[in-house]
Parts: sequence; structure tokens; C-alpha cells
Amino acid sequence: MAGIIFKDVEKTYDNGVTVVPDLNLEIKDKEFVVLVGPSGCGKSTTLRMIAGLESITKGDLFIGDQRMNAVPPKDRNIAMVFQSYALYPHMSVYKNMAFALELAKTPKDEIDKKVHAAAEILGLEPYLDRKPKALSGGQRQRVALGRAMVRNPEVFLLDEPLSNLDAKLRTEMRSQISKLHKQLGTTFVYVTHDQTEAMTMGDRICVMKDGIIQQFDTPQNLYDYPCNLFVAGFIGSPQMNFIDATVEKAGSGYQLCFGEAKIKVDNEALAPYVGKTVVCGIRPEDFHAEPQFAGEGNMIDAYIDLDEMMGSESYLYLNYAGQKLITRVPARYAKRADENITLAIDTSKIHVFDKETELVICQ
Amino acid sequence: MDKKPSHARTVIAYIVLIILTFLCLFFFYILLINCTRSHQQIQHGFSFLPGSSFVKNFNNVIHDAKLPVLSGIKNSLIVSACCAALATYFSTLTAYGLYAYNFKLKKPAFIFIMLILVMPTQVSAMGFINVITKMGMINTLYPLILPSVAAPAVFYFMYSYMQSSLPLELIEAARIDGCNEFKTFNRIVLPIMKPAIAVQAIFAFVQNWNNYFIPALVLQENSKRTLPILIAMLRSADFLKFDMGKVYMLITIAIVPIIIVYIALSRYIVAGVALGGVKE
Amino acid sequence: MSKKKISAEREVSYAKWGYIFIAPFFIAFLIFQFVPLAQTIYYSFFEYYRSGLTVIGPNPVGLDNYKALLESDFLKYAGNTVILWLAGFIPQIIISLLLAAWFTDVRLRIKGKQFFKVVIYMPNLIMASAFAMLFFALFSNNGPVNATLVSLGILEHPFRFLSSVAGTRGLVAMMNFLMWFGNTTILLMAAVMGINPALFEAAELDGCSPRQTFFRITLPMIRPILVYVLITSMIGGLQMFDVPQILTNGKGSPDRTVTTLIMFLNNHLYSKNYGMAGAVSVVLFIICAILCLLVYFNLNPTESDRKIKKRDKLKPRKEALNG
Repeated sequence: MAGIIFKDVEKTYDNGVTVVPDLNLEIKDKEFVVLVGPSGCGKSTTLRMIAGLESITKGDLFIGDQRMNAVPPKDRNIAMVFQSYALYPHMSVYKNMAFALELAKTPKDEIDKKVHAAAEILGLEPYLDRKPKALSGGQRQRVALGRAMVRNPEVFLLDEPLSNLDAKLRTEMRSQISKLHKQLGTTFVYVTHDQTEAMTMGDRICVMKDGIIQQFDTPQNLYDYPCNLFVAGFIGSPQMNFIDATVEKAGSGYQLCFGEAKIKVDNEALAPYVGKTVVCGIRPEDFHAEPQFAGEGNMIDAYIDLDEMMGSESYLYLNYAGQKLITRVPARYAKRADENITLAIDTSKIHVFDKETELVICQ
Repeated sequence: MDKKPSHARTVIAYIVLIILTFLCLFFFYILLINCTRSHQQIQHGFSFLPGSSFVKNFNNVIHDAKLPVLSGIKNSLIVSACCAALATYFSTLTAYGLYAYNFKLKKPAFIFIMLILVMPTQVSAMGFINVITKMGMINTLYPLILPSVAAPAVFYFMYSYMQSSLPLELIEAARIDGCNEFKTFNRIVLPIMKPAIAVQAIFAFVQNWNNYFIPALVLQENSKRTLPILIAMLRSADFLKFDMGKVYMLITIAIVPIIIVYIALSRYIVAGVALGGVKE
Repeated sequence: MSKKKISAEREVSYAKWGYIFIAPFFIAFLIFQFVPLAQTIYYSFFEYYRSGLTVIGPNPVGLDNYKALLESDFLKYAGNTVILWLAGFIPQIIISLLLAAWFTDVRLRIKGKQFFKVVIYMPNLIMASAFAMLFFALFSNNGPVNATLVSLGILEHPFRFLSSVAGTRGLVAMMNFLMWFGNTTILLMAAVMGINPALFEAAELDGCSPRQTFFRITLPMIRPILVYVLITSMIGGLQMFDVPQILTNGKGSPDRTVTTLIMFLNNHLYSKNYGMAGAVSVVLFIICAILCLLVYFNLNPTESDRKIKKRDKLKPRKEALNG
């Protein structure tokens, strides 16, 4: 009912800067979509175009099946949660939540019912008479959510709503927002620069850079099958390792060579790259210290610059063949800094990217 | 360790402060004393104790046929209150227009207002009289009130205050909640700007209450005149024949209401003065 | 269809509201300040005055008004204005700096700061004309000040303050000082308190005496505000009118030694000599415009200025560290 469709949308500011050159995006009804990317990638602009806070230079925006380009924000049946919460400082929590309904001339008793219902879900009942100044960060955040909820919008827009909270609260609110989404059964569009938030909350994630959608897929697919270097590097923490490797013909297949390692990859897509350098992407957890992974050509013996013990596992910062690598190994197999360690690479999980186009060759 | 020099410095500081306090308060003390004394008592010499002629002096001033004090107070109040209202409302509106919206002439408009920030109105007084005469507004209170719509200094204060206290997201939230632009301004922006508006309203009121140069040029009829002009008239009257009790009483009427308001609101006013200066 | 699109797109753009909101300001400015200013400048090139009941002019006379201005006592009045301004401003800035330093000095721990601030700012809110009238009454030949001085035996005969040049100028300067030093003190205090307190602590550790701290850290750091105070005070000085006008009943007596430029302008306006009034205004406008420009650049430093300012800000810190 309230899917969102961007069709060939362009956004250029008055000063001539184009932030979004050509956006095509389809968000399904009731879906939780996360827009993620580094700052300045156009994700917030995209969200604000849905809200009607930014005009659309070219192209069409549909919410449901109505073209929304010229509809003012209040008539789009959307609600938005801002990064700074944007609570009206001179109004009580109750007034903040009731304000939109009041403007829409909703009857008083209905406003009362809706505000109290939302306050109950969010645990805000005891604070309804307080001013925002007297609330903690987490409570303010919930008021902002409540203000959006009471309007029964078809679309929820959230602009980095958790970035002003401390780490612990953030995790808590993350699950609360996910729960809310299931409870309300409406479309959520969520903007963040934090890939962890994106991975844990989104049904689908839209990774953006320079106003262009890099990949739009489920979290698992983004992680397992990144379509280019940017997505591969952006999703996952610690970051995926990128290693320059030379492609060689080896028997019927090919092998990727760097340092001592010669990793067999039998994929015809590598044919045009023989003798050239490609970028080889390996996630930190695909280096294994456990002996059962040992094989031929996939072993590296690297010097440990630094180790970070995390308890169950250890992050090792390696220096191998002049390249910096990060690996994540079970604590009992880990070694300490200034030692050497022998690790096996899980060859089935390797990603190969074109050095020039940065697109994936095979994975 | 260095308690001694600090101690000496403290004493000097207090002495200077007490002298300055004396200078600031003493004249008003004499004023208040003398407005309660009769002409004869005042002529007789100075006294530190108040007399008993306060009511008499007050009545004399109020009922002086040549000096329309009551209408003077009324005119002064009308002009000052209207100026305070117009200056704060429209300066906030202007500041909001330049703060919250993006448009082509935004930067030139801002630079222009900053350029005329401290331009005195006296330099265009001659043309001003000409223009308002042609508009038929000479000898009315309008030319004293209407120009307050363009008050660059108030604008600048409001603009600085918005930068620190009015996040743009709030305005956007109001838009999504269903406010049109005027409603956003009146229901969201104005309440948030209340502290700044209060401070500037007081300053605008006082400034216009005390204003003498332009009103003296504009107002020619006795019944239209404001208090400062009446005081000037008193000065040009034959002074020796004048009832000194009345002179002091009129000065008291012109000054004391402002001082009472000031003492009541001093905390905010002093803070407001300080804010006006913090410019980085 | 395409036409509809264009008008529709405009609807979501808010730019027009910016124009609507700033319109009243600019309309009011245009009517009450810009047009009058243009007229003032225009008539300064005309012979246009009233003689008795007949109006002479306006006849274009080129720069004659300006020549007449130079031949009149204009320069004398300009000198008066400068003297009166300086006589008030110099003590004002010294006392204000001193008070600002004391009030913000943590080691002095002055009690009742709020009280002193309230008291010293009070004269600023007083109606200048009433204040002048009060001084006139107090310092008149048989006023309370003379009476007190004589009865205390300090003076033999009442001192005729308003007949002596120094006395009258001194009274004007004193009133200006009293009216403005509180305002300046509060501004400077705010500026001093805006300095990072760690800087003062660093200076103290490096062995700066209070005096050294004041001259080598505080003063350079608050320079922008000092410049602002100086320029706005100059503009205020140029506007000086109410106090000398009321004190001397518009005569500038004795011998027009306290007639200021605005009093001069006022006289021409009263005698309806619009040509001369225009010429005086134009000169004042040019001086003010220069001062306005200085204020503008002080408040809105350009990129290169900002860099210089930053360097200036680092300098005292370095000095403080080098002790």
C-alpha cells in the first residue's frame, strides 16, 4: 500500500551541486530499509526528499501509488524522527506528541487516546507532563518516536536517530525500533552511517556513495556477495582485507599470487586478467589458525604488529609481504605481538575485484 | 603564598567600586530627595532627608497647564510599547527569514543589514522630515513607531540567538507535523525566541522612551509631545521663576519607571547586554 | 503536463517564504531610511532654505553648501565633538578595562558582582535629556552641589560650572562617562570570560603577575571586542546631542564651545535650511559609513583576516608558555 518508488530522481541544489544524480529505488510496503553510506553520500537528502523537506529537481517520487513531488510534507502521511530529536522545547512531552494531531484538528479525546497509547508502548507515561529539557537522551529519543507514532503514518522516516546516544543505549534502542517496526507493520526508512545498525535492523540495506546506489540487498547478501570494493569495505567490522595479487594461469585453473601464497581459484572470469594485478578481498574471519584448514598454497606466515585480545577471540594486526592485514582468530590459537603466526586462508570465501573498475570479478 | 598583594588589590578594587557606585547612585538620591521637597526647601539648601511635598509636587506637575505631562506619559508609553513590539516581532521575522530559508538574495541581504548595523538615523533626519511631511505623518506618532520595523541591531541579536538556540530540524519537524510557514513562526519559533525577545523588547522600549532628537523634530503640537521634549521645554522656560520641586518631579517621572523595571529585571538585562557583545 | 510540473515543483520550495519574511524590514528601511538619505544627499547640492515666510529654492548650487560649511564653524563644532567624546571615552575605557579585569580575576573574589553590575549599568538606561536636566539643576549656580561645596568651606563663592568652558565640557564628559562605562564593562567582561580559562592557568603556572597576565594575555585576546567598543563609541560620540543640547539649552554656551555636530544639524533643521542641513548630514554620513565598514569587517572577518586573527590568538599563548 505504501511502498516508495524513486524514478530517475535527480537532486541539484541552488548552488549547482548535484548530490543525487539519478536515483532509482523501490521500497516495498511494510519493509524496513536502511540507507547507509559515508557522510555526504546523499542518504539524508534521499530521506528528506521522501519527507518533502527537499524539492526534487527531476524525476518522480511515488508513495503508495500517488506522485508526491508537489505534495507538502504534512500531506504525505509520513512521520520523521530527527537526529537531534527536534522536540519542541517549550512544550511538554504530551504536547509534543499531540501537536500534529492538534494541527490536523483531531478531536480532543481521540488525541488523548492516541498519545496515551503511544506513551504506554514506549514507557513514557510517567513523563508526559515534563518538558524535553528534563528528560534523558534515551527518553527524548522515545518521545521523538512517540510523536511519529501517534500520527499513524504510512511511512516512518528515521534520520540517524541513534547517533546521539551512548553505546549501551544505542543497542537497546536498536532492538526497540526493530520491535516497533514489527508491531506497527508500516514502512520504515532508516538513515545511518553506522553499518552495524544497518546490518542488525534492515530487511534490506541500500548502500550509497556519491549519490549513487552501490548495492541494494539483504544484509546477508551484502556481506557475502558485495558487488564492488566500496561495499565490501563498508560492510563488516573489522573491515575486509584488500590485498593486491597477480593472476597466474595454473593448469586448467588460475591462481592468485601474493607473497608466498598461491591461491587456486577455478573461475573462468579470471581469464582476461592473467598477468595483471587484481584486488583480493578476504574477511578477517576467513584466516584460520586452526590446523584443519591447512592446505596447499593458502598458507601465510605473517608477523604480528599488534594484537587486541577480546576474550573469546583476538584481533591480530599483521604485516605480510608489505601489506597490512587484520584477522580474527579464536583466542586459544592466537599469538601475541612481535611473534610470527601461520594462518590458512579459506579459499572458498575469497572475493576478487577489478583494480580499475573496482567491480567484483568472482566470489 | 601571594596573599598579601592580592589582599591590597582587593581593597583598592573595593574602594574604586564604592566610589563608582556612589557616583552612579548619588545623583538619583538627590533627585529622589528633592522631588519630595517644596521649592522653598530646595532653595534653602540641600538635605539628606526627604521632605513632605511629594504629593503636592506631583499634582503640580500633572496639572500644569503649559506642560501636558499626562499626555506626554501616554504618548511616550504608546511610542515605546509599539516600537518594542514592532522591532522585536519584525526583527525576529527578518532573522528567521535569513536563517531558515535558502534563496538567491540571502547573502546580499545579510551583508546589507550588517553594513547598516550601526548607522545612526540622524544622518538622514533631514530627508526623513521631508518624506513624512509628504506622507502627511508630520506631527503624528506614526513616524516614530513605524521605522522600528527595520531595526538592524535587534535583527543581529535575534540572528545570533537563533544560531545558538533554534536548530533547523525543529522547523522541519513542524513542517512535517502540519504547520504552514507562518504557523511555524508563530507557534514554534516565537516561543523559543521568548528570552531574546524579552531582552530586546526592554532595550527597544527604553531607547524609544528616552529618544529626543527625532521626536523633537516630528512633534510640534503640545498634546502630541513625548516626555523628553517636555523636559527640554522645561529647560528653555525661564528657569529662575520655575518651581524646582516641579522640575525634580518631572525628571523623576521620566526616569523612575524605567529604573523600577530595570531593577526588577536586572538579571536578564545585564545578561542581555553581555550577550550582545559576545561576537567571535 | 510539463507546465503543471513546473508550478508543482515550486510548491515544495520554500525560497519565497524567505523573501516574504524579510520584506517588511526592507520596505520599512526603504521608506524611512533609504529614501530620506537619498533626499538628504540630493538637497545638499541645492540652495533651499526659508527666510521669514518665504521659501528660497530649491536652486541647484553645486558644492556651494559644502564650501559654506567649511567657512562656517563646522570645524570648530567637529573639534568640540571630538573633545567631548574623548573626555568621556578615555576614562570610560580605562575604568571599564580595570573593572572587567577585577571582576573576572578569580584571585580577587569580589563579592556582590551582580550588585555592582546592576548599579553601574543603570545610568545607561536613564533618559539622557532628563539626566542632563538633573545635572543642570544640581550644578546650577545656586544648586545643591554649589550649596554643599560652599557650606563645607571648600569654595568661597559658588562655582559657575555652566559659564566656564572646562566646567561645561567636564559635566558633559562626566555624564557620557557615567552613562556608558557600565555598558562597556559588561561587554568587556563577557569577552574576558569567553577566553579559555586554561590560558590563565597556564600563565599563572608560568609565573605571570596579574599585571602581566592582563597586558600580555587578556588585552590581546579581547582586541576584537575592544575595536568594536571603540568604533561604536565613536559613532555614539558623533551622535552626541541630548546631553549638551539640554544642558546648554541648545546654545552650546559658553561661546558655542559645547556645540556638537548634531546640534549644528539640529539648528539648521529648525531654521529650515535644508541645503546646509543636507551638507552637514552628508559629511556625517560619510564618516559613519567608514565606521560602519570597520564594524562590518570586525564582526565578519574575511578569510585572510581570520588567519591573522588566529595567529594573533596563538601569540599570547606562546608568550605565556615562554614566560
